[in-house]
Amino acid sequence: MKMLLCDKCDSFRKLVSRRRFSTRALQQLNRLSILSLTSSRIVCHNILFQNRLLSFYREKESPSMLAGVARAGPSLLRQNVTEASPAIRQQRHVSRLTPFWKKKLDPKDIKRDAQGNIILKKKETSLGAFRPLNVAQLTHALFQSEERKALNLPTFAPTQQMIGKATEFPVINNDPSRIFGLPKKMLLEFRILSKPCSVVRTVTVSAAQMLDKARSKPSLDTRVVLTGRSGCGKSFLLLQLVQNCILNGWIVVYIPRAKKLVDSSTPYEYDLRTQTYLQPAFSLQTLQRLLAANQAKLTMLATQKKHSFEKREVPFGTNLVDLIGIAVKEPPLAPVILETLMTELSTQTKHPVLFAVDDFQALYCRTAYRDPHFVPIRPFHLSLPRMIMEYASGKKSFAKGAFVGAITTSDTQYKLPSELKDALDLPHEHFKTPYDKRSRTLMGYTTGLKALHVPEQLSLVEAASLYEVWKDDKALISSLHDEAFLSKYTESSGNARDFVWKGLLATFDS
Amino acid sequence: MNVLRNPARQVLRRSYTTARRPFVPPAQLNNVQRRTGGARRRRKRDEEEEDDVQWQGDFEKSSPPSPTFYTGRSEYYDQVILLQNAIVQARKSLKMLHLLPLPEFARNSLPTPFPIWKDLEEMSADFQSLMTRSRYRRVIKLLNELNGYFNIAKAANASEVKITIGSIIALFESGKKAASLAQRQKKTVSLDQYGRSYSVGKRKTSSARVWMIPVHAQPTSMKTQKGPSDYEGITTSTILVNNIPLVEYFPIPADRERIMRPFKVAGVVGAYNVFAIVRGGGTTGQSGALSHGIAKGLVIHEPKLTTVLRKAQLTRRDPRMVERKKTGLAKARKRYAWVKR
Repeated sequence: MKMLLCDKCDSFRKLVSRRRFSTRALQQLNRLSILSLTSSRIVCHNILFQNRLLSFYREKESPSMLAGVARAGPSLLRQNVTEASPAIRQQRHVSRLTPFWKKKLDPKDIKRDAQGNIILKKKETSLGAFRPLNVAQLTHALFQSEERKALNLPTFAPTQQMIGKATEFPVINNDPSRIFGLPKKMLLEFRILSKPCSVVRTVTVSAAQMLDKARSKPSLDTRVVLTGRSGCGKSFLLLQLVQNCILNGWIVVYIPRAKKLVDSSTPYEYDLRTQTYLQPAFSLQTLQRLLAANQAKLTMLATQKKHSFEKREVPFGTNLVDLIGIAVKEPPLAPVILETLMTELSTQTKHPVLFAVDDFQALYCRTAYRDPHFVPIRPFHLSLPRMIMEYASGKKSFAKGAFVGAITTSDTQYKLPSELKDALDLPHEHFKTPYDKRSRTLMGYTTGLKALHVPEQLSLVEAASLYEVWKDDKALISSLHDEAFLSKYTESSGNARDFVWKGLLATFDS
Repeated sequence: MNVLRNPARQVLRRSYTTARRPFVPPAQLNNVQRRTGGARRRRKRDEEEEDDVQWQGDFEKSSPPSPTFYTGRSEYYDQVILLQNAIVQARKSLKMLHLLPLPEFARNSLPTPFPIWKDLEEMSADFQSLMTRSRYRRVIKLLNELNGYFNIAKAANASEVKITIGSIIALFESGKKAASLAQRQKKTVSLDQYGRSYSVGKRKTSSARVWMIPVHAQPTSMKTQKGPSDYEGITTSTILVNNIPLVEYFPIPADRERIMRPFKVAGVVGAYNVFAIVRGGGTTGQSGALSHGIAKGLVIHEPKLTTVLRKAQLTRRDPRMVERKKTGLAKARKRYAWVKR
């Protein structure tokens, strides 16, 4: 049901946005306009009158008014909730083409495409992503030198012989770091390096062996969380496991930045059926990535049940690739289809499924999303975090596979919550008292999680291999390699991140 | 009749003077030497001494105890003259013995004397004269020169000269000599029963108590990590500050590098484990204090490193402290804005 705003209301909104009145006022206006959806009235610009109406309806709690709008309420951020008249929309659009301090575009100068939409000039808002230039692209005679060499590293393989060696990830079509993305710090590091590489550690080999054993078991038996000090290599280990599994025929679902699920950076909307908040954009992105990374394996699988969505019917035996195709064609169905896909994957036994989530602790913190009453939304009321937590806690399980999460200790906004600390048996900052608040629901979502502790210190051999990678990439100033290496190793006390970032790359010692 | 015996004299006498001779206060007549012998003088005396002036008193005319009697500070000048004479005598005797002038090599080979003279208070007490600083300095200068000659004589075994000068010098040597020498001798610091060194480092208002112990390479049988043999025998040092690893306690790379500097300069990176308790100040002060403590600890373990660390100024306690705020200024140096009127 749509609702029309009178001209005065629209101008009032413009005034409010320009003068930057409190968002509260704007939210109230939004809320009021949403509430009036059911009664399809025209909202008046008189906000005081609307306030009184709102309080009246709240008191009454009439089911007709509030049935569709449960306590959680519909999304504030939904686009096109209120539609202005076409004339106002045109005006608004034109005024948005140029900022107010610049000359306004003449309506005659506006160019339109075939469908009548205005063609906007592309503004360069950012410099663009930095990508390192390949050595081979430097063809100028000035760069021709014997010293320019590409990094030659062995291919990644978590075996005993490779412990302590720096390895590069194989270049494959469905490279998970390219398709799924990477945590931010890791991404920056790979941009500086000429090739994405990592060092094989003892813990890599042991974790890979653990996943090998979990291949034939349900994910209920293997729900692991990588823990350790800040900068000890949890995200790297997770990436190594993901790479290893993809090469060994697993279906991999990798979420490198789970923080993005809870920091209100993706759109969200309330779903009446499930009474949770859906994240359609993120769900679609996840589906697309899943498809790209596991296409060959997914073509071999088909649905085991008949599914019916709002306007769509998916018969029994549909290829999973086609299932994802439906979501691509109809983005609003993405969350439901993701849910369905995960259910299908959890029942199939052909390929083991690895569900890998980085920034795992962010899913257990208070989210940055707000409901219409400005109450923070709990993570288990968001569909995707809820799904992840269900697989993590064993409420849902893959027939064959594992769940691996990695926590981020360096994020101050999403700190490790006490429920997870209890479940993973990690030390608390302050003395534990019975009065510390813990959410029972969240505690229910932490049952059965096992902590895999990543060693705080790199061994001397591992650190030396890492040093050699940076040395061969011509990133170091010093030529006294023995002294530089040992001094940086001592300064960082073996911490991997500090060894590279605050040691090798942040020093002027020559 | 008597009056006319000598008419000339009578004429010469002035009849208007009230006193025949000038008034002499009685005190001055004490210890006046009487002239003895001569009848003529006796007669004159008799004549002249008709008045009842008593020229009595026996005294002894003697010369002053020293030529400096008439100076204001006789004892001081006595000392100075004594020393100057001694210097002259010493120089003469040494020249006669061909010990002066000494060639360069011989002068360099002489042992450095460390005389401990009496201080101002002691000298003032001994010579019972108030010694001022400038006079004291002059005396010391002379003493040092004399001591130089004594040194030469001692080295050359010229016994007579040595004894003479020695006796003079002994007058001026302080009784606290032994105590002073003991103080000068540096207390030898050693390692404790476990081979640990303990040193204290300071910087600004921070202090660091540092215990250092050498790292022993693990024997091959104990090695758990498999790795290339290149890394055999390479030890790594662990640094704990207030029981916290260095990486956690000092997040700034500059502080960490400051702490590693003594090891790098000495070339012993990875050779010692360090445990430190650091108090006071901020990050820079604490890291500086720890660096100072580590340098001192390295010197205890390896005294040969003294020169290297001293040249790098790592064993020096950085004297820079926060400058005080002064009146009329906003901060230590910052002045208030100048206003024309």
